Amino acid sequence: MPTSEHIVSSFDRDLEGIQGLIMRMGGLVEEAISDAAKALDTRDVELAQKVRAGDAAIDALDQTINEEAANIIARRQPIARDLRTVLTVFRISNNLERIGDYAKNIAKRSEAIIEHPPVEGTGASLRRMARQVELMLKDVLDAYIQQDADKAQDVRERDIEVDQMYSALFREYLTFMMEDPRNITTCMHLHFMAKNIERMGDHATSIAEQVMYLVTGELPDDERPKANAVPMA
Amino acid sequence: MEDTDMNDMLMTRNSVGSEDIKISARHVQVFYGDTHAIKDVDVDINDKTVTAFIGPSGCGKSTFLRCLNRMNDTIDIARVEGEILLDGEDIYDKRVDPVQLRAKVGMVFQKPNPFPKSIYDNVAYGPKIHGLAKSKGELDEIVEKSLRRAALWDEAKDRLDQPGTGLSGGQQQRLCIARAVATNPEVLLMDEPCSALDPIATAQVEELIDELRENFSVVIVTHSMQQAARVSQKTAFFHLGNLVEFDDTTKIFSNPEDPRTESYITGRIG
Ligand SMILES: Nc1ncnc2c1ncn2[C@@H]1O[C@H](COP(=O)(O)OP(=O)(O)OP(=O)(O)O)[C@@H](O)[C@H]1O
Ligand SMILES: [Mg+2]
Repeated sequence: MPTSEHIVSSFDRDLEGIQGLIMRMGGLVEEAISDAAKALDTRDVELAQKVRAGDAAIDALDQTINEEAANIIARRQPIARDLRTVLTVFRISNNLERIGDYAKNIAKRSEAIIEHPPVEGTGASLRRMARQVELMLKDVLDAYIQQDADKAQDVRERDIEVDQMYSALFREYLTFMMEDPRNITTCMHLHFMAKNIERMGDHATSIAEQVMYLVTGELPDDERPKANAVPMA
Repeated sequence: MEDTDMNDMLMTRNSVGSEDIKISARHVQVFYGDTHAIKDVDVDINDKTVTAFIGPSGCGKSTFLRCLNRMNDTIDIARVEGEILLDGEDIYDKRVDPVQLRAKVGMVFQKPNPFPKSIYDNVAYGPKIHGLAKSKGELDEIVEKSLRRAALWDEAKDRLDQPGTGLSGGQQQRLCIARAVATNPEVLLMDEPCSALDPIATAQVEELIDELRENFSVVIVTHSMQQAARVSQKTAFFHLGNLVEFDDTTKIFSNPEDPRTESYITGRIG
């Protein structure tokens, strides 16, 4: 792999600049996941509001990244690995933006849940699941910066654990709802939140696949292992 | 995944080319005195396909191109070794007449070089010396057909008796292409045909190349990576007289095998 510099050094600066924006966006999104789950667990309305407000910054970065990437295509006509770098920037930015939306949705539901009496243990278990996805995201962004396809593959394989956590939580909420109908509103919110986190895992996995494409020139062709999610109602 | 096809999408129209081999080169070496300009090159040029030769200045692209119609014969110090087959026949065989060969394997040069004659005579010259027309009527037909093929007919039809040198650079280049196709060649060699042209004339020549490949096998030397990516189905990357990589253009420009190829096409220090 040529890691040497372009003869036109401003091209390198363009590419580095846009990858820097991705990392900045990734940092904000990791924080949003962590804060949203913490807000639920500690019943912190202020923190939930902060997450909701913070999504605007993530969206703005997504837009900046798209514009910058379009500029690079127009001005440099990148090919080969350079082209893959720009294409993956578009996709990864989009994945991050979606993860940010899910975090915002979790924060919004947290605010609604906090008005109701707590259901024992649910905040902590959802927070563990969020933590798992947050770590996947952190590792996949490391893999991106280090251009490490093996590390990306590792993240990709970890998504199955998130799927399993989601199934377990789904059954747990079902039990709470059957035990006491007063839990229904809270557990419905919790279920959507767990589903949101599960979708975040899918986006982290998609980023992992982009990293593999960037490094090797090919997307992984095997089907990703999938846990049997929900017993379909 | 839907994302898989991104690269394909960028170059789909280039993805088809004939699989029939038109020219087959084996162990080709070229020396200019002591300079070893081409080193043991093997390559197959497919019929009805545009093949691009790319590589840094001095790597031997023009030298190798000139081997394909024996233009190197005209350079005293040049020595060519190895085997080049056109439709299975050795073009360096003693019985082959280089002038006849060049009617079959035409060439368009970097700088438009019309003869100092009328537009009509520029195109009619080759068919005349090769006796391709039995009458003035037939010759007129060949001239018109060639100018049409070169997308120059509409601009030239009312001034056929005016000198070719009076045309614009882009028109002159298309005139040279008309001249090259007039002898009905099977292969067209083009050495940086667009380097003197503006973007519009370049686009016209590229469009023409794409049409020509319905009937001919085209080999083009170009310094523009974008041009190679746009017009060719196969790309050969030369470096210091070696053929480093030869593959589908889509492959070369999306995921080349050799790091030297990637460094070159992406504009990196090798
Ligand atoms: N007529 C000649 N006499 C002596 N050496 C020559 C001659 N033509 C080419 N060479 C040498 O052969 C090598 C290959 O030259 P060639 O013209 O084939 O390169 P090229 O790839 O076409 O370069 P460019 O992109 O600059 O046109 C160079 O080292 C060049 O100096
Ligand atoms: Mg040359």
